[in-house]
This record gives sequence, C-alpha cells and structure tokens, in this order.
Amino acid sequence: MFLRIVADSFGRRPRHKLLTGAALALGMGVVTAALSVSLDVGDRLAKEFRSLGANLVVTPQADSLPLEIGGVDYRPVNAGAYLPEADLPKLKTIFWHNNIIAFAPILEVRAEALPFSREGGRFGNWTGGVPIVGTWADHAVPLPDGGEFQTGVARTNPWWQIDGGWFSDGAMECVVGVAFAKKNHINVGDSISLAIGDVTKTPAPLKVMGILNSGGPEDESIVIPLSRAQSLASRPGQYRKLYISALTKPEDAFAKRDPKTFTPAEYDRWFCTPYISSIAFQIQQELPGTDVRVIRRVAEGEGQILTRVRMLLWLVTGAALLAAALAVGASSAASVIERRSEIGLMKALGAGSGTVGFLLAAEQLLLAFVGGGVGYAIGIVLARLVGGRIFGAAPEPSLIVFLVVIALAAGVTILGSAIPLHRASQYEPAPILRGE
Amino acid sequence: MADRRATNRAMFWRIIRRLFGANPGRLFVMLLALGAGAAVTAALLNLQVDAKRRLTTEFRSLGANIMITPRGSDRALESATIPESLLDRLPTQEGNVPVSRAAFLYAVAHITAYSDEGTNAARLGSGPAVITGYRYVSEDFGRIIPYRVLEGSNIVILDTDTCEMGQRVAALYHLHAAGALELKVGRTEDSCVVSEVRSFGGTEDNQIFVSMEQAQRLAGIPHQVSMIQLSVPGTPVQIKHYIETLQREFLNVEVRPIRQFTEGEAKIYNRISGLLTATVAIVLLLTGLCVMAAMTNVAMERKIDVGLMKAIGGSMRRVLRLFLAEAALLGLAGGIMGAAVGIFLSIGLGKAVFGVAARPRLIVYPVAVALTVIVAILSAFPLRRLASIRPASVFRGEA
Repeated sequence: MFLRIVADSFGRRPRHKLLTGAALALGMGVVTAALSVSLDVGDRLAKEFRSLGANLVVTPQADSLPLEIGGVDYRPVNAGAYLPEADLPKLKTIFWHNNIIAFAPILEVRAEALPFSREGGRFGNWTGGVPIVGTWADHAVPLPDGGEFQTGVARTNPWWQIDGGWFSDGAMECVVGVAFAKKNHINVGDSISLAIGDVTKTPAPLKVMGILNSGGPEDESIVIPLSRAQSLASRPGQYRKLYISALTKPEDAFAKRDPKTFTPAEYDRWFCTPYISSIAFQIQQELPGTDVRVIRRVAEGEGQILTRVRMLLWLVTGAALLAAALAVGASSAASVIERRSEIGLMKALGAGSGTVGFLLAAEQLLLAFVGGGVGYAIGIVLARLVGGRIFGAAPEPSLIVFLVVIALAAGVTILGSAIPLHRASQYEPAPILRGE
Repeated sequence: MADRRATNRAMFWRIIRRLFGANPGRLFVMLLALGAGAAVTAALLNLQVDAKRRLTTEFRSLGANIMITPRGSDRALESATIPESLLDRLPTQEGNVPVSRAAFLYAVAHITAYSDEGTNAARLGSGPAVITGYRYVSEDFGRIIPYRVLEGSNIVILDTDTCEMGQRVAALYHLHAAGALELKVGRTEDSCVVSEVRSFGGTEDNQIFVSMEQAQRLAGIPHQVSMIQLSVPGTPVQIKHYIETLQREFLNVEVRPIRQFTEGEAKIYNRISGLLTATVAIVLLLTGLCVMAAMTNVAMERKIDVGLMKAIGGSMRRVLRLFLAEAALLGLAGGIMGAAVGIFLSIGLGKAVFGVAARPRLIVYPVAVALTVIVAILSAFPLRRLASIRPASVFRGEA
C-alpha cells in the first residue's frame, strides 16, 4: 500500500513532480559543475603556471662564483665546475618524478663567430666573445625503466619565441638571438662558423634554423645543440646549469620550516608532498655534488596566486551551493504545502502523523535521488564545457562529487520539507477537508 | 468611466494584498527562493568585477615585468649607464595602484670577507664578486625581485654601510649576518656589514647588494645606474600601453617587457579570468533556472484561484496581469533584500580571499534586483496554461 501511494503520487501529478524535480536537478547541476571545476582547477592552474618557466635551478656545488652581469659571465673561460650529462635520466627516478614536467641542461661558452650568407659567401669578419648557449631544444632522454622522456628548452622556457624552427639535436644547426641577428644581418637559412681561440682554419658552419626572441640576455647569443657546445668547449658529456620545471604544491607554514627540525613523521609527510623544497631535496640526493636552488621569483609568486585563486573558486562554489540549497529547499517546501487536503484525508482515514510524515519524506527522497542524478549529469556536462573551453581538457567525473551531490540533494529536500511536514502533522483533518 | 477604473484599480491592489496575506508560509518560501537567487547574483557579480582587478595586483608577487636599459647596449651593462634621476621621473601610478620600481648599478669588485666588524675578526677569504648598488621606490624590495631571507641581523653600526648577500656568495665565503666585507673597485675602497643573506634562485644569488650611493662611489660614476626595473600592475593590455607611453616619453633608453613574466602572466590571467567568468555565468544561469522552477511550482497551485476569478467574470488577461504583478512585487522584495545580503557577502568573501574588502559596485545592486524581478515574472508565466481551464471542472475537483 505504501509503495502504491508513492507510485500513485508520482503518476497522478507528473507536472508538479517534474517542476520540483527540475528545481532539484538544476540546483544540483550548479553544485556539481562548481565542485568539479574547483576540485580539478588546482592541478590545471599549476600546469598553467609552468608557462612562467623553470622553478628550480641546479648548479655545481664546487663552482666558483659566477661574475655575471646582464647575462654575460666575466669569469675566465676555464674557471668553474661542470656536471655530468649522464646523470640527467636520474631526475625521472625521484619520488615525485611525474611532477617533473621538463628540464634543460645549459652549457655556456664564449666563442668567435663568422657568419656566411645562404649562398655560402662570407660576409663580415670574425666576431669575438659571442655568448654561445648549448642546450636541448627537443630531446628524447632515455629513462632507466626503458621509456623515453621528451624535454628541452622549448618546454622549460615557453616564452621563447622562435621565428623559423628549432635545431635538431646533434645536427649542424643553430638558432640566433634576435639582437645578434639584427646586428650582424643574419637571416634564417644563413650559416655561422664557431671557434674558440684559434681561427686560422674555418670549422664547418652551423645552419641558422630560426631567430630567437626571448626578451632576455639570450637575444644577444647563439643557441646551439648541447653536444655541439660540448665539443666546442672540449667538455664532452658535461653541462653547467640545469633548469627544471616541476609541478608543486604551494608552500604552507609547515613547508617553510627547516627540514632538519622535523620529527620522523613530519619528515615523511614533507617528503611525500610535492612542495618545491622537498622536490629540490630529492633532486639533490639524486645528483650528487649539485646545488639545487628554488627560483624564488617564480615559485613564491606562483604559490601566492594559486592559493588565492583556489580560495576564490571555493568561495564561489560555496555561494552557489548555498543558493542552490535554498532554492531547492523552497521548492520542496512548496510541494508539501500544497498537499494539505491530501494529508487531511489520510489522517481522517486513520493514518498517524508518523506514517504521513514518513510517506511524504519517502516521496521527497525518491525525488531527490532522481533529481540529484539528473543534476549530476547536467553539472558534469557543464563542467566539461568550461574545462574544455578554458584549459583544453575536461575534468574527470569523480565519484566523490556524485556522492556529495546525492547526499546534498537528499539533505536539502528533507530539510526544506521538514518544517511544512511538521506543521502538516499537526493539522486537524476536519477543518482541512471542510476547505477552511 | 473614470470612476470604474478607480474602483478596478482599488480592487486590483486589494486582491494583491490578500494574495500576499493569505498564506504566509508560501510567501516565505517564495521570498526565500528569490532572495537566495538575488544574493548569489549580487555576490558573484560584485566579486567577479573586483577579483579580476585584484588578480592583476596579485601578479606583482612575481616581481618586475618591465626593464629599462641604456639604448643599444644590452650586453655591456657595466659600461653604458642611464641617469638615476629617471627613476623619480617615471609615472608613479597605474590605475590608482602604485608602480614599484628600482634602479641597479653593477660593478665587479674585489672583496675580502671578515667574520665580523671587530678589529680581531677572522679573515674568511677574498676574490672577485659582482656588487649591485640598488635603490627602490616601493614598500618592499620583494615586489621587484622576490626573495626569501635566510639570515638577518638588526645590528646597526654607525658610520658603516650595510649590505645584503646573495645565498651563493655568502656560502662561498662562509659569511653570515653581521659579517663584514671590504670592497675594492680599482683604487677605491669601502666596507660594509652584512645585514641579510637572501635566497633569490637567480644570478642575484651571486651578488652583493649595497646602497646605490656606495656603488656609485666605488664605481666612480655618480648619479648613474645600469638598469631600472618596474613592477607595473594591470591587465596585459594596460601593461603594453604603459610600455608604449614610456617608449614615447623617454627616447634615449630602451624600455622592454620582461617577456618571461609578461607573457606568462597574460596567459595565466586570461585563463583565470575566463574560468571565473564561466563559473559565475553557469552558476547564475542555473541558479536563475532553479529559482524559476521553484517559483513555477508555487504558481501552479493557484489553479483554484484562477478558476474562481474566471467564474466570476475575470478575463484571462486581467487574471494573468494580477499574477504577474504579484510575481513582480515578490521579485522586487526578494531582490532588494537578497541583493543587499549578497553585497555584504561579497565584501566578506573579498576580505577572505584577498585580505582587502571588495569595494561594492553600486551598479551591481540594480542589476541583481532587475534580474530577480525578471526571473520572478518569467516563472509566473506558466499560469498562461491555465487559460484553457474551464472553471467548472476545477470546482468539481477534476483537472
């Protein structure tokens, strides 16, 4: 009989149920969309922040002090220490290896340069002291587990604009900084010979593949494949500076403490959280003899902005949740109020207040589940739309959001109907049936 | 004729009054739904306007985004200079937010490090290092080049300059806060006491920061600087405009964006503001629909009222007008109350997120109220369906 009354109530007044259900579905759609976006957005935004470039720099511990002004190192050529390139695959073996999204080793030398035009005609003379940057453009690093990792300076420094194309690894090709190119009238397709010290014989030239605009000191230099720079500087298999771009969690008060003061439990927690300091620590352990420093400019700003934006989105989500809950509550309250005569009739036929309340609550709950489910579907579609448009990747539907939405739907409808239900159970059947 | 119209109008308002008074429970429910919608609309609209403006200020925690260097000499920064007075001639504000700026002068010095200032201090070592003279116009130097203080001391020694050490140069010479340095450029000598050791993560880690006067004295070039950096708040378009203004105004220097930050910031700003707009739009749309569905639900139960009015000769148009007026009034009341709540809400939210209360925008208030009224009126429209109802069947209890 109970089920029959519930089924009847849905069958008889489909329009009313449809409207209450629609309010529920829309409200829960708001909640789902806002929650999905907020849950997902942290990681996506952290990735966006990588467009600011590397947030860690690795230098040799034993290095002498660089005398660098405006991107030019005034140290004698042979001063300073170097690091082995062969160690680099180890970067992808640290605990947070999946958070390391790019790295690029750098070897800088000063050399003499001699440009040639496209036809092979030599123009100009040897220019001395040109900064040469050796690095990877897009390099496949073989990993210890057998895979490969594509990385290079194009990924660590996404703001570098290339007019033309990058050089291929190990090829006799190069990319020329825009200021240097302008000064020496170099265009894409020309070529340049590079030599250190002895310029009596002209080495095989590198073909200019593109013009680089970085907005930094690199605009004055020539960027060549790392292996070419190594042979030019007679430092095979070595580099001097390593830029790493890692996804991190913004540092909180806990992360800012000195790791030496941690208890073992705190240390584990710190080690197993992708704070920039713990990632730096793990890299230092993998690459012995290095100094891993956090690029404060990038890391601190990122942490601060990310925290703010996340909080903002959570608050928007909270506000949306509140409004949806109120509207849904109002809707279910309305649907109970209008059933006064029905309640009167049931009571006149001998139903107790408890039975009536239970019946109506069951109806509302059923509605909540259906409405919540439909709302979840609407919300997921909308969240995908937002995620897809803005980040180019849709958030994954998550079970937690589904459970939260269903629970919220049930809670809100019950709360919304609680007051009118309570009042309904106090009704005297006679005046209601008389129409008063 | 005029008399009848007046009577009609009196009756109209009387019915409206009674509609409100008849069922306080229903009135409350409707006001709740409409008020909640209005509150969220007002809060989100206000926050949306405010948050975008504030985000651009937040981006300044990334440091400087514009660089001014001597014209035509990117590399030899130690030889070409610009007058220091330029620092004070630059526009001080952009969109009511002060522009942080700093001037730098670089020189290579021969330094000798001592463990402290006293006469029997231990000599820690000596060698060449880059010294950077700096002067900033900002509440905090971190607004130009963000850093973290590793060590600091508040020791003030009269007649002695203080200097700040980069992390690496300090580590190399085993210098700590309160250590002392002898600086020598050419034949000029000077000294300073280390007040802080700072971690930058860039080339600044290899530098010793001294006061601008001291650097100019050591380098022998008074009132000259190597470079000026600016941290200009604003949207990507505003920053571009600011750079263009400077380029027009100061012809003998080179003004350029620090592309690493301007480009990255532009990208992130566009993403975040897009995200915010999209989220707010979706939340507003769905909240509106949700409120509408709740209101329609309430309106649908007015069948008997409609039937009665039609039975005593009310035309459908007049009946509908009655209900629309009721809905509009409810929307107005709910909107006025809800929007006020929403604006206070957004002030609180702004304070929670950015630490500064969001400035309420007056335009938001009427917009939120108007939107609520529109939603309320739209949700009364399903009553139009009742036009086909025959009064008799309503009273017989059918339909």
